Amino acid sequence: MDAYIQQIIVMTGINLIAVLGLSILTGFTGLFSFGHAGFMAIGSYIAAICTARLPQILQTQFGLHLEPMAAFALAVVAGALAAGVVSWLIGMLTLKLKGDYFCIATMGFGEAVRIILNNIPYVGGARGWESLPKLTSIWLVLGLDVLFVVITWNLINSRQGRNMVAVREEELAAQMSGIDVYRHKMTALIVSAIFAGVAGALMANYIQFIRPTMFNMARSTDLTIMVIFGGLGSISGTILGTILLTWLPEVFRNFAQWRLVVYGLAVIVIMVGRPQGLVGGMELTPSGIRKAMTARNARKRFKEVGDDAGGQK
Amino acid sequence: MSDTPILELKGLTKRFGGLTAVGDVSFKVSEGGISGLIGPNGAGKTTIFNLITGVYKVTAGEVLYRGNPIHNREPYQIADAGVTRTFQNIRLFKNLSAFDNVYTACHTSAQYGIVEALCRLPRFRREERALKEKTRGLLEIMGLSDRADVMANNLPYGLQRRLEITRALALDPKLLLLDEPAAGMNPDETLNLMKLIGEIRDRFKLSVLVIEHHMDLIMGVCEHIHVLNFGCTLADGSPEQVAGDPRVVDAYLGVEEE
Amino acid sequence: MNQFLQQLVNGLSIGSIYALMAVGYSLVYSIMNFSNFAHGSVIMLGAYFGFFALTLLGLPFALAFFVAASGTALFAVALERLAYKPLRDRKAPFLYFIITAMGASIFIDNSVIATIGPTPKTFPQASLPSFLRSGSVEIGSLNVGRVDIAMFVITAICLAALVLFIDKTKMGKAIQATAYNMKASALMGINPGFVIILVFAIGGALAGVAGVLYGMKYQVYPQMSSITMKSFIAAVFGGLGSLPGALLGSVLLALIETFVSGYVSTQLRDLFAFGILIAMLVIRPQGIMGKSMEDKA
Repeated sequence: MDAYIQQIIVMTGINLIAVLGLSILTGFTGLFSFGHAGFMAIGSYIAAICTARLPQILQTQFGLHLEPMAAFALAVVAGALAAGVVSWLIGMLTLKLKGDYFCIATMGFGEAVRIILNNIPYVGGARGWESLPKLTSIWLVLGLDVLFVVITWNLINSRQGRNMVAVREEELAAQMSGIDVYRHKMTALIVSAIFAGVAGALMANYIQFIRPTMFNMARSTDLTIMVIFGGLGSISGTILGTILLTWLPEVFRNFAQWRLVVYGLAVIVIMVGRPQGLVGGMELTPSGIRKAMTARNARKRFKEVGDDAGGQK
Repeated sequence: MSDTPILELKGLTKRFGGLTAVGDVSFKVSEGGISGLIGPNGAGKTTIFNLITGVYKVTAGEVLYRGNPIHNREPYQIADAGVTRTFQNIRLFKNLSAFDNVYTACHTSAQYGIVEALCRLPRFRREERALKEKTRGLLEIMGLSDRADVMANNLPYGLQRRLEITRALALDPKLLLLDEPAAGMNPDETLNLMKLIGEIRDRFKLSVLVIEHHMDLIMGVCEHIHVLNFGCTLADGSPEQVAGDPRVVDAYLGVEEE
Repeated sequence: MNQFLQQLVNGLSIGSIYALMAVGYSLVYSIMNFSNFAHGSVIMLGAYFGFFALTLLGLPFALAFFVAASGTALFAVALERLAYKPLRDRKAPFLYFIITAMGASIFIDNSVIATIGPTPKTFPQASLPSFLRSGSVEIGSLNVGRVDIAMFVITAICLAALVLFIDKTKMGKAIQATAYNMKASALMGINPGFVIILVFAIGGALAGVAGVLYGMKYQVYPQMSSITMKSFIAAVFGGLGSLPGALLGSVLLALIETFVSGYVSTQLRDLFAFGILIAMLVIRPQGIMGKSMEDKA
């Protein structure tokens, strides 16, 4: 396969894992984050330490030999866990805040992670960290994509997932329905951070080079935009949005300077013209489409009967 | 019927800053009964619901549910314990179908954990089937079966109220709080609603506390009525006693001219 | 002692420019309850407007300021009409506003990169009046940059004018009333659409002034908008939606920054800023002067 095409596929696959996590948080639970690049950064840097530093340390200090792939497996798990633990701490501090402020707090978190990394010489500081081992393969990424899609699907179609959607729809009514709103927000945040951590770990060991600016606020915004572009509350939309928005800039590579102009414009047009995104609120599966159709038909059928009582306020 | 009331408020008080929204209110809701909470606009009725369900923190006084204090618990714990409610301005999960609204609220009937859900273990499958059964049953009883697939937001107003009650019933409550269930309804619908409230009580073996402005509804279904004015108790008793109380007539003549 | 005073002066100078920018965030927030992240890009545009008015058109300095301020005011209003108004009309949740603002910011920044290019531009000294050229003035034992003094003075004049406008004029009162309660003030005959245009125009004009001043002190470049993030933090710190809060937050943040970089470490300056932001959100999300809000069910 053409190396360039392969690279785009791998990057799409890695993005997809992070965006799926964010889709659980944003699309299904209704919390917006502008700091998820921070969780990716944690995953990346922890993984880099595990694959580029740990084997040497073990060798020289303890005379132990760590296989590269074993180190890599450890790296992905450690990156995911680290991101998860940090998200739990962040969640305890910020999840009680109201929407807008939660958003700003996550943004502050993401930037803080970046600035801290800038100041740690051990991981390369602001100049970045080069020549990491290349351990991520295209088949691994695609395999993990399938796994994470299944996990997301199973989560959303369980009582925990439905409770998250209830939190998004109407927080107070969710509480009155016996749903622990705080706990479900926390679960969504931790799951999304773990996904981002895995994506970060895979990325570090694929492009072999990481630098704090790669995890700036623009990166966080990109992830959120992919979720919205595909459609809030839809896993298939998330997949579609990730694929399209990762490929589009590549297609316009020759117009490098203009691609982000188009990108910014596309975001505005989507927000203003089609806020539900490409497929918001439904799934592109046979049963999902059937469900959407029956809902539409049912609505039409009863529209004719008319409102039973004077219209809504 | 036991002697302990299902709900007892003792000296309940709520202040917002310097404003006393509810001042020293005490009353009981007897097990299996239908009680009414009435009073002019701004009398503090909804505030009392918010205090019972834990949305607001109590300033002073106690809320006893089956003899146990619940006013320090989180709202979702109170709902879990068996106190559910509807809202004056309907709060459904708007973008979900009628079925999913009820399906979601059935969650306390299942025990499976998140790992069982992710791996689709047998208990998950078994309990999910049971939840679906329960949801269908509830929709059937409440006459919403044929609209199960309609998005809540697209239901006619009267059915939205009905769906909200159905959703509250999905938690198997022992005490149901209804906040102006007849608001915006015509006399026919109000009559139906009265019948429905009675049926629900008998079928689900629960107690009901209802806030209402429609006096015919209150007088028709309630066995006991508590009247509030400016956050304080004005009268308490059977519908006949309350209707004959001159203070109640006074309070209502001043405000209720629609 | 001397170093302390020197830092204090630097802090006040930077604080004044933060304030000029923060006011734009706060004004929009007070009326529309969302953080307009495109504001930073409007500030950047202001710097370019001013730069080209001076160099290409060769306008006199005061006129260049005027061109920059009116250009950004018009631009901010156009942005409101084209991007935010459709969202308002459909009563979209505030997050759509934030995302739209971010999209606008990406669009504006990259349009500048694509057309003008990413290279930073420096205001030519010759085009500036003498009181704004680089160099410094001795005040007692202190060395104060001429640009810093000018920045402080111009900012003070702008902000004083703003405060007078909001406190004394009918339009200013309309803004206050709408910020307090949009529905009620609409019932009293205050057109919310007009107030929103007014707020964007004022915020935009101040953004233009701030952009030119900032560009004069440092440089003019497309990524300037990321610097303005600091002024947003200042607005949150002081209390989003509160004008006095925006001023106080800006001065405090700038002082903390200069003292941290003076006495602790320059690298840690930004970390302090974001740390303060998070700490403030956790302890007191409404900021120093913001109005507290208890949700009524």
